[in-house]
Amino acid sequence: MITRNKKFILIVLISFLLALIYFYSNYYKVNPKAYITNQGDNTVSVVNLNTLEVIKTIEVGIAPLGITILNKKNLGFIGNVGTDDISVIDTRTDQIIKTIKLNTAPLSLTSSPDESKVYVTDWFKNNILVISVKKMKVIDSFKVGKTPSGIIFNEKYNYLIVTNRDSNTVEVYNKNNKLIKKLATGKHPFGVYTKDKYFYTANVYDDTVTVIDLENWSTKVIKVGAHPYNILTHNNFGFVTNTIDDSLSVIDLKINEEIKRINTGETPENLDLHLELNILVVTNWGSDSISVYDLKNLNLIKEIKTGAQSRSFGDFILQ
Amino acid sequence: MRKFILTLIILLFSISIFAHGPTPQKVQESVTVNVSPAKAWSVIKDFSEFKKIMKTRSFDDEIMKIKYELLKADVPFSDYNAYIIVKKGTNDNESVIQWTARFYRVYKLNPPIPEGQDDATAVAAVKNIVGPGLANLKKALESK
Repeated sequence: MITRNKKFILIVLISFLLALIYFYSNYYKVNPKAYITNQGDNTVSVVNLNTLEVIKTIEVGIAPLGITILNKKNLGFIGNVGTDDISVIDTRTDQIIKTIKLNTAPLSLTSSPDESKVYVTDWFKNNILVISVKKMKVIDSFKVGKTPSGIIFNEKYNYLIVTNRDSNTVEVYNKNNKLIKKLATGKHPFGVYTKDKYFYTANVYDDTVTVIDLENWSTKVIKVGAHPYNILTHNNFGFVTNTIDDSLSVIDLKINEEIKRINTGETPENLDLHLELNILVVTNWGSDSISVYDLKNLNLIKEIKTGAQSRSFGDFILQ
Repeated sequence: MRKFILTLIILLFSISIFAHGPTPQKVQESVTVNVSPAKAWSVIKDFSEFKKIMKTRSFDDEIMKIKYELLKADVPFSDYNAYIIVKKGTNDNESVIQWTARFYRVYKLNPPIPEGQDDATAVAAVKNIVGPGLANLKKALESK
């Protein structure tokens, strides 16, 4: 009868709709992932951090180095040193959705906390380029000190902070892109990190790390391993990659001293965290791999082969 | 005038020591030899051919890894750091010796890059050290 047929059709339609919703939610479900720029083979390895496997290899421009992940907008920005452009990846599908042409080589990238802007260090011309994420193009640029290398945004004070590798300084810019402070670091400051009121940089040629209090501008220097490249902090501990020692220095930030050293792959350069999974990921330029550590006990969980000369200078984990 | 030129040259030279471009280059080659890892390791630590061109930075007897800086000057590459590691082969009397070098091209500034100072020249020059170096090491180890 008519009523029964209608009921039947309704059930089929609802089931179909539910299946559609299930399918799409899984298709767009974004597993925690790490994006590894392989400067030696011009690719980005996408690593599923649940299964600890490489799930995709994306071909980008030549000699990719810097990276920043926009977690809210599901975007990854990768700087290609060899082709003077930025590959923009949709992290839901891991496809390139746009290539932003620059007229210069991009070294490192970071984003504003609201993810409306991406800042890029223009190594050769001593500029910071400002990209509008909405418009997907450069909308502004401003001059900074020599060879701007690491760049990061401090949320607490709305500061944009840049290390000038060849002048051994750090420059602090306010939200109007105005220089408000310049401080001396150790020799060859490169990687950067900031949390709450502190800023950290690794001084590659001094084998030290500089810690700056952004409230009163006081500076501390901590000895680590050989040729440290980058640093991050978590729960009163600092982690530093020592590129020549092939190790990770663990710093107790309450006493500002190195307390432990852990083996990594060859030439460890950069590092990032996944908070929920409680893991630390280190990129190993020399072994073409990444090392994944348990943040609780710092045991190595797995070393995963990625591409040639894995670097990922910046933040590279999709939370 | 001469003093001024000299100062300028010294300034340029000292700047060049501490600066380099953004892309480190890599040469990594291996050779398999018919000697035990222990034997290979003891020979490598004292190998005169390596000592002529590289200075030992550190070594680790446990993992059989030795790290080097460059002694040789007047080369078409810069900021050279290398390590050699001895690994077990397929049997007790076989070793795999791997030499990894990290370095940069000579030219540190904005492209265009002058001839002979680019990445390709740097890579070729290092390959020309590593390849024959490993071959000579193999010869020395297997002739004993």
